[in-house]
Amino acid sequence: MNVTERCLSRRGVLKILGVASSGIAATRWLGPDVTMAQEPARGKAIETFTGPGANPHWNSVGPYVTEPQKVPLILLTDRPVQLETPRHYFRTAFTPNEAFYVRWHLEGIPNAVDLKDWKLQIEGNVNKPVALSLPELMQKFKAVSLAAVNQCSGNSRSRLQPRVPGGQWGNGAMGNAMWTGVRLRELLDRAGVKSGSLMVQFQGLETGAGPAGLGSNRFLKSLDLGNPVLDECIVAYLMNGEPLPMLNGFPVRLVVPGYFSTYWTKCLTWIRVLSAADENFWVKTAYRVPDTPRGNTAPEDVKAGKVKMVPIGRLPVRSFLITPDGASKIPAGMNVTLRGIAFSGFGGVNRVEVSDDGGKSWMAAKLGEDHGAYSFRTWEAAWTGKSPGRYSLAVRATDEKGNTQPDEPVWNPGGYLWNRIERQEIAVGNAS
Amino acid sequence: MKNRTLAIFPVVYIVAMAAGVVYAEFKKGYYSPAELGSLRQAAPIQLLPDANYQVSAYPVPAVDLAPGEGLQDVQIYCNTCHGPRYITMQPPLPATTWEAEVEKMNKTFGAAIPEDNTKRITLYLEAHYTTDNRKQ
Repeated sequence: MNVTERCLSRRGVLKILGVASSGIAATRWLGPDVTMAQEPARGKAIETFTGPGANPHWNSVGPYVTEPQKVPLILLTDRPVQLETPRHYFRTAFTPNEAFYVRWHLEGIPNAVDLKDWKLQIEGNVNKPVALSLPELMQKFKAVSLAAVNQCSGNSRSRLQPRVPGGQWGNGAMGNAMWTGVRLRELLDRAGVKSGSLMVQFQGLETGAGPAGLGSNRFLKSLDLGNPVLDECIVAYLMNGEPLPMLNGFPVRLVVPGYFSTYWTKCLTWIRVLSAADENFWVKTAYRVPDTPRGNTAPEDVKAGKVKMVPIGRLPVRSFLITPDGASKIPAGMNVTLRGIAFSGFGGVNRVEVSDDGGKSWMAAKLGEDHGAYSFRTWEAAWTGKSPGRYSLAVRATDEKGNTQPDEPVWNPGGYLWNRIERQEIAVGNAS
Repeated sequence: MKNRTLAIFPVVYIVAMAAGVVYAEFKKGYYSPAELGSLRQAAPIQLLPDANYQVSAYPVPAVDLAPGEGLQDVQIYCNTCHGPRYITMQPPLPATTWEAEVEKMNKTFGAAIPEDNTKRITLYLEAHYTTDNRKQ
């Protein structure tokens, strides 16, 4: 038996196996264990609720549901409809209409709008009330387009400690779209706002089963006529170049750039100029935040009646890591791309930084195309997990006013204004 | 078949040893019943070229409410204005918060639930959806 024959014989290999302790692995690799290996665990559903601790997931934990004109989205409530956008739809600067989150307040959501009858009414304390059909809006006024982030006031509410009641959103109650429509100012000018007017109220087609005059009957929002944001508002009939999905406000919705979505009235049908302050529930009582830095307070101070509440306003600066999302292991030494988005309602984001040590050290990310101050700004950064282990990736943004995301949590009774630095744990595995 | 496997075994093993490679454990082809379920696709709806823009009804998937005293009151009264998923979507909340929520429905939103039913609804929520007792 020559050397080669000896090596090729089973006995020879067994000798080698005696030396190499990895022989068992090799047997598995080739032997029957390859197909008879231990049965993998079945995929399990996520928990049905989170709490009393903070929701540890990027999104909320509801099931997927297929609603009209939508891809499967995460269900918070079905009547009225509240749907959250899954994380992976935020890879791009513009959120697809069919994946755009949905938040209604009252169960009477239109299933149909007949444009034969529908008209946008501008009424109240005006010189001449105006009613405009969709063709009139499209043809008689200059069309303007603006990219703007629409974020629910309660986005990320499930992060708060202690938890507060309300829609238990993860991070997906937000979206960015290119909105096209007519300037609110032009519509107001067409009707002529009378002197002595104080506010402008917006009402859409949603109705509730509650008694007239209460918040459970109508959803009404108002802005002060002196608020400069009115000059930037658009009554939009296009969303990313398409008609709005019914659940996002067909045929037109108000766009209030830089402001939380509570002001972005869906299925907008009445624009009403008021000569007195709006005392309705949704303005006077709901959507209010503490008049403190970041809207932060404590349950004891609220109970003690120490907290002055003011209407919610602009979006504080935020940023998100979208990929990697922690669902996969990354081999050590592999150079991957971290991707995400950032935005601020106080002016464009001009710096995004990432960290792989949970926020101890930071490095600059590269910003993507600038679609305007109110848009999502994409960012990316190359990153290598050099050795196996768990890494805490973190991301923070700074806007052009110099506001940087803080690392402290926020708490207020409504569960609004969360903008703490986001973190994502990533597992880096052995690559050999 | 067995003999053939044995015959190529040494060759491959030697190559592996020579290259210093530790092979990953490749596993494949395990299936299980779909515990996570599946969603049917929506059929396209017929769209007429008139001025009426219509979508199908908004679906209301079944929701698992904890069985117990007061469940029927919840199903009748809460359901007037909103689906009961508003309850299960919440995190576990202190009993006092549930009491305040039910009171808000009556006082702020004008639900006008009779006193007895209000009590039963509150007790039901406090019996199944607090930080101490929530299970589902």
